Amino acid sequence: MKNKANIMEKLDRSILRKILPALISVVILSIPLFTFPQRNLWIRIIGYAGLYIILGLGLLVHVGLAGMFDLGFAAFYAIGAYSYAFLASPHFNIHVPFLIAILIAGGLAALVGVLICIPVLKLRGDYLGIVTLGFGEIVRMLLMNLSDFTNGSQGIMQIDKPNIFGVVFKEGTYFYYLIFGLVAVLLFLLNRIINSRTGRAWLAMREDEDVAQMSGINVSKYKLLAFAIGAFIGGLGGAIFSSWQGSIFPDNFNMNVSINILCIVILGGLGNQYGVILGAMALIALPDILRGLSDYRMIIFGLLLIIMMILKPQGFLPRKAPQYENKTLPDKGKEVQS
Amino acid sequence: MQKLIEQLINGLTVGSFYALIALGYTMVYGVLSMINFAHGDIFMVGAYWGCFTISKLSDIGLTESNPALAIIIALIAGAFGSAITGIIVERLAYRPLRNASRLATLISAIGTSIFLEEFVRLVPTFGSFIASIHFGDKNLFPESWSTAIIDATKTFGGAMVKTYPGVLGTGGITVGGIVISYSRIMIMTVAVVFMVLLYMLVRLTKTGKAMRAVSEDQETAALMGINVNKIISNTFFIGSALAGVAGVMMGLFYLQIRPLMGFTPGIKAFTAAVVGGIGNIPGAMLGGYLLGLIEVISVQFLPAIYKDIVAFVVLIIMLIVKPTGILGNSGGKSKL
Repeated sequence: MKNKANIMEKLDRSILRKILPALISVVILSIPLFTFPQRNLWIRIIGYAGLYIILGLGLLVHVGLAGMFDLGFAAFYAIGAYSYAFLASPHFNIHVPFLIAILIAGGLAALVGVLICIPVLKLRGDYLGIVTLGFGEIVRMLLMNLSDFTNGSQGIMQIDKPNIFGVVFKEGTYFYYLIFGLVAVLLFLLNRIINSRTGRAWLAMREDEDVAQMSGINVSKYKLLAFAIGAFIGGLGGAIFSSWQGSIFPDNFNMNVSINILCIVILGGLGNQYGVILGAMALIALPDILRGLSDYRMIIFGLLLIIMMILKPQGFLPRKAPQYENKTLPDKGKEVQS
Repeated sequence: MQKLIEQLINGLTVGSFYALIALGYTMVYGVLSMINFAHGDIFMVGAYWGCFTISKLSDIGLTESNPALAIIIALIAGAFGSAITGIIVERLAYRPLRNASRLATLISAIGTSIFLEEFVRLVPTFGSFIASIHFGDKNLFPESWSTAIIDATKTFGGAMVKTYPGVLGTGGITVGGIVISYSRIMIMTVAVVFMVLLYMLVRLTKTGKAMRAVSEDQETAALMGINVNKIISNTFFIGSALAGVAGVMMGLFYLQIRPLMGFTPGIKAFTAAVVGGIGNIPGAMLGGYLLGLIEVISVQFLPAIYKDIVAFVVLIIMLIVKPTGILGNSGGKSKL
């Protein structure tokens, strides 16, 4: 009887697990097909939340998967955005095609990520957070002050719209699909990584760095890898932001952006890639939904962060213990008994 | 040479602010091992209380007749304003999360920081809301009260930049051809006085002993009959009060305060705490003065806009070279 109930439960859960994401994807993908009041605004809001899902997935690799506390993620976002803006705007009069430019933007962000990570490989926890926080601010201030190169606080204007195989992105809907397409690809790839050797190495590192090292995991290598992958995703997000906005300014990448992304990852449930979706939707869409409360929205947002952490410190969707651990242990136990 | 000494004094003035704020970071880290991200905003609240008090004192003419007394009253008001804010924050936002993960506490601190900034910004809105509460035709408050509430809240906060009434004289004393303004002397003296008081409190009193015990080992301290919650509360009280003092002095010195003013000094004071060795009280003082001096010296060689970057570069270099800070002892347990 108990077994049967278990099976039913498992079946239920697996159905839920398969149907729910499908349902959410269908809803998200079909929103632009309808016409409703303020359609463009909503597409913009949800698209923006989608952009933050991308950024959240990048930071998830740093904080959630590899356990490296990062308070300066906006730096990678900024590097991606500015790289794209340099490569595809009248600023330097270079116009690199979108797909190439976005990859270069991501690659540059990853390179910087590795460079900043090398000297701080030994740091842990809070300290790493502070170094990255400092790094994020340094990047923003450099963008602001290297006026000859970055145009300072005037920002960069007239950034090229993407043009993928002749399709010109002229309105929000294109970006909407671009962003959610990338979210799907990233989710797929992250799922593969999480269940690979690399993912398990990160898991071990996150749980206990010393033990991981003792077990023969090259901690430095996996840390650098995590930082590079996360920064790459952040760079992609930046490039998309830059092409969508058409103009960028150093203040688009201030400390609040880093904090927002971190909140997304933590509110969603640390280490859970689906939690990021929920967190981003809640966090980015919420202030816009609360816009009716105009003046009070940020104070409510602050309060909600505190209350949420007190009631559910693990986030909406807490990370589950990995399945392979649960599967193998009881079997081995039986073998020993027989 | 003369210029160098002037810059040194400038550095010590700025360093006094950093040192006072850094003490709050370091003490909280000492007892709770957490970074109080809202500390910069607690400092800001102190500056606002000071501004409110001194505006009111200026209305009754005390700043004219006895500026020293007015400044002392404002410092006390700012210290208490910050201290009470600190205690409330600890009680409501941090204590429920004491056993949760570090990241959860961090998010809660970020929420607190947003809340405090927005609260100060919205105080006049709340004021006019409270003043206009009515049941049917009957107002909750009589007319005179309502105007008083609206007036007081408008004096206290708001989205606009607030200006401190100029209390500090512009004069100064001249030592060997170098002019040291009274305001700088006041700031440095007050900072030193408070640091000495703090040092005595931590080293010589029973509360201080209990604080050191809690920072060394919370559970054992509890077993020895120390009321850990009370000690943590006290730590927040003292650390926040010091930040409040720094806030009032910064307001008196730079004359302008904003709801977001806490961020940059907060981060720099944190840098100071790390440079000195976080969790270490003399370290925070040393780090604060050191950072102030480094900043001032850097301005001599670099464009002024890089002043803020210098602090972060110092932080990163320090963390790479000696993560435990100048006075921090690696692996050792005694913190405060």
